[in-house]
Amino acid sequence: MEDGVTATQVVFWILAVVMLISAIGVVTVGNIVYAALFFIASLAGVAGIYLILTVEFIALVQLLIYGSAVVILILFALMLTRARERPQALFGRSRPLGIAAALGLLAALIGGIVATTWTTPESSSAIQPVGLQAIGDAIFTIWIVPFIIVGVLLSIALDGAIMLASPDEDDN
Amino acid sequence: MPPLEHILVVNAVLFAIGAMGVLTRRNAVLILLSVELMLNAVSLNMVAFAVYGHVDFGNITGIVFAFFIIVIAAAEVALALGIVVRTFRNRATANVDEVNLLKW
Repeated sequence: MEDGVTATQVVFWILAVVMLISAIGVVTVGNIVYAALFFIASLAGVAGIYLILTVEFIALVQLLIYGSAVVILILFALMLTRARERPQALFGRSRPLGIAAALGLLAALIGGIVATTWTTPESSSAIQPVGLQAIGDAIFTIWIVPFIIVGVLLSIALDGAIMLASPDEDDN
Repeated sequence: MPPLEHILVVNAVLFAIGAMGVLTRRNAVLILLSVELMLNAVSLNMVAFAVYGHVDFGNITGIVFAFFIIVIAAAEVALALGIVVRTFRNRATANVDEVNLLKW
């Protein structure tokens, strides 16, 4: 499809390897704070891959929502729910079974990807970058109803989270 | 641009790593982190299909879907962490295998 390995591909593979190593760190490291930090690195890798795919809008959203808001929420929850008195096992009893199931899933997915013939554009120059304006047009015309529903859902969910996490008056 | 298959394989590996985390971790917040990894893999897949199908179909539905996935994931994280904090206050644990009131 292409003449050799381009610079974009090299950058893509560097980002992919960083992202996957960080993801493995998230699920295997023994310290929960390190796991959260690996998660940030993994998110940054995904944002970089969005940039390689020429979708700057999603990369920005990824960094703004995931990279800041979600990560801060998760760090707060980790700190608030840390059991202080005893060191805790971080893995359940069914760990070997879980690893085997994940490997089986991976084999099935990669088998499906390899077995399929994908119709891709002839050359990478045929792929046009998707501009911000096109995305905005689509969201605010075709997808306006889902967009409003998502907004309502988000505010309901955040209100519900505050309700759940706030202490009851009659509790104590 | 990397070929579509390479992106799909990377996303499959990321999805499987997230699944492994969901199946092996016992801390609820770490399980949530692994679910976020899986969601990331899926939305990256959608963007890849949208970008590579752009020439043929002329739409950007996949990109809009990735945007919606990220927003819904934010709502989900907020709610789930509220539940985890609540559980920790009531039962003094954030481990999913110790929250077994409904299990028999």
